[in-house]
Amino acid sequence: MSEHLHYFSTDMRRWAVTLPFDLDAVIGQWDQLRAVMVRHMPEAFNRDEWAYLITFLDPHNLERPFLQAFGRREALAESSINGSIDSLARPRGPVAVWLPNNVSLLGPLMLVLVSLTGNRVRLKAGSQAEDLTGALLDFARAHLPSGPLAAFLDDCVQLERFDRDDPRNREMAKGAAVRVMFGSDESIAAIDALEHIPGGGAIAFSDRRSEVWMETSQLHQDTLKILIKVFAIYGRAGCTSPSRVVLLNGRREEAVALRDRLLELWPYAVRNDMPIHVASENIMARQWAAALGWDAELAPRNSVMVAAGTPGLSPVAGLMSLLVVPATVEQAVQTLPANIQTIGYALERPGDPRWLQILAPTSAKRFVPLAQMHHFGPLWDGYDYWRQLFEIVEIA
Amino acid sequence: MSRLLDQPPFAPRDDAGFLAEMNLLSRFHLDGCLEYRRIWPDWSPATDIAGLPFLHVGLFKRLLLRTTSDTVQHRRTLTSSATTGSSPSQIVLDQKSSVLQAQSSLAILREMVGPEMRPLIVLDDARSLHRRSVTARVAAAMSLKPLASEIHFVLDESVQPPIVRWDAVREILLHHNDLLVYGFTSILWQSWTSGQFPAEVRGLLAGKRIHFVHSGGWKKLESLSVTRETFDARLLEGLSDGSHVVDYYGLVEQVGIIYPLCEHGYRHVPRWAGIVVRDPWTMEPLANTEGLLQSMNVLAYGAPYHNVLTEDLGRLVPGECSCGRAGRRFELLGRAPQVEVRGCANV
Repeated sequence: MSEHLHYFSTDMRRWAVTLPFDLDAVIGQWDQLRAVMVRHMPEAFNRDEWAYLITFLDPHNLERPFLQAFGRREALAESSINGSIDSLARPRGPVAVWLPNNVSLLGPLMLVLVSLTGNRVRLKAGSQAEDLTGALLDFARAHLPSGPLAAFLDDCVQLERFDRDDPRNREMAKGAAVRVMFGSDESIAAIDALEHIPGGGAIAFSDRRSEVWMETSQLHQDTLKILIKVFAIYGRAGCTSPSRVVLLNGRREEAVALRDRLLELWPYAVRNDMPIHVASENIMARQWAAALGWDAELAPRNSVMVAAGTPGLSPVAGLMSLLVVPATVEQAVQTLPANIQTIGYALERPGDPRWLQILAPTSAKRFVPLAQMHHFGPLWDGYDYWRQLFEIVEIA
Repeated sequence: MSRLLDQPPFAPRDDAGFLAEMNLLSRFHLDGCLEYRRIWPDWSPATDIAGLPFLHVGLFKRLLLRTTSDTVQHRRTLTSSATTGSSPSQIVLDQKSSVLQAQSSLAILREMVGPEMRPLIVLDDARSLHRRSVTARVAAAMSLKPLASEIHFVLDESVQPPIVRWDAVREILLHHNDLLVYGFTSILWQSWTSGQFPAEVRGLLAGKRIHFVHSGGWKKLESLSVTRETFDARLLEGLSDGSHVVDYYGLVEQVGIIYPLCEHGYRHVPRWAGIVVRDPWTMEPLANTEGLLQSMNVLAYGAPYHNVLTEDLGRLVPGECSCGRAGRRFELLGRAPQVEVRGCANV
């Protein structure tokens, strides 16, 4: 593949980004694939996941990481370049990605984003989970016409499935310029301990929790339906799924009323029965929550457990268990879990600078509208990780 | 104490008497256990066993429940074997219940293996007896103690994987012709049918009368594609005609109650126990279709584990069994299937 230069600029700096392909052609090929995706869906995906992928592959969305990292796009003529570039960004080198066992769309989304950087990538899918990354890769390889993206996926992407004890983990770590690790704190520590290039990049995404902050003025039916949809996708298995809804400045009666509305709306928003073991776990979770002092109830057909209580009550875990607590903003901040990732909000004035002051001392990594809690991008868990997949050359 | 235990386990049932005792026992636990009361705040006596207040089996992995009363003296804690990544169940034992539970399991086992005393070989390590909490494995083995003239723990768990002390087995076989052998299903299979069984000891088995009693489930054996027929045939190879294999279903959370498989393939409910099968999505009791098993008994006083909704699937079977045992019978259909959980975090 020959090198292609692309130009970007901010008010402070002009960038040349070199890639082993024409960026527009690659983005265009992902866009071409969307047309096929609308008509065909691999069995491994569910409809929500596939629809999200189609949206994610929108050309504007794929161009966004470049714009965020390097500024606005410039169409410079060769003659105007001389002496005007401050920095050259080039792919940093082979990227190794360890995906966790119960990963869902993170693998495919990471694959798409890395494909834009031109780095060779080796991904390890979980040995026990359904492999959505492989499913997307197979689909793309089968349906893409020849072109730079098809060539890149064939020549530069390697996907394997093996377990944590496999010697290939060592090979991956040793050969990577950047290691991207998803998983539990334990598994990340184990990967990080493997021999790797001194000074190589390491990006770790470990266990995280998320929650929703709502004001009582925002309890509209549409908002509650969004909340149900966001929660129902992964239950609490998603690091971006809410495990708790904080009703800001609400009272316990209002939390109970919110619980009842969620339970009432649930069957209209989620029509399928839960698997038996999830229905069974929900029965357990209701009893567990009640035993601890929560006002806990089940939705029809035991499809979800929602419990209203106070921030001081011991939390209850469970795949489809959602806790609702009234709290002041101060209480909400004080009771944030240490590994908080996303706060999804439904607020009257989310742009008010006071939210920045409230967030500043917390560990939260994302503060986004409720509907965007699951949106994945080049910024994640507090890292501008996508930009770290490039090496920067200072030009003077 | 329960009058229901005055008769053999599979004598004709006294359903009204059972319901009355269960209502009283439920009230007892509601009065003495705050958590149970919070779960069933508005309960009033039931008119059938499906209306009795139950606890989900998973709760015992999350909470250490205890019923406080002047008549209850709590003793040790019974723990289940935890599967990878999950916590064990913990059941607080008490003096009064232990007596009832021992009486119950003895009556049921005697009905299956006969009343005579004989040496008991336990495929477990004797050191398990001396731990502060009792494991389900040891509790199951010790339920056979009243039928044992002597007890021999023959597993050595100081090495991994554990090994059978074949020299000890050899000594027992040299001196006895009639034996009881207890082991967890998978351990019994691995040890008794493995190639490590010394030929000399195997030779000593010829013509002996052995009752094998096992519990713990078929999950591991299913993964090895071992059928019940193969399992039984391998264990009984070369033994006398009076030998049997007894597979029973039991839960730590229902200690004292065991449901052995009868010769016609069904599990029978002792007259001091009850089984309800429920629709997992509506909790409606099901007459003869598959659902979640709920097991209850009148033996538990130390904590409200007298009535437990399990994660196992089963089906009540109508009609009378050809084996002649009275009362309800059911089929155990295994654990509720687990499907992959997608996400990126650990729940």
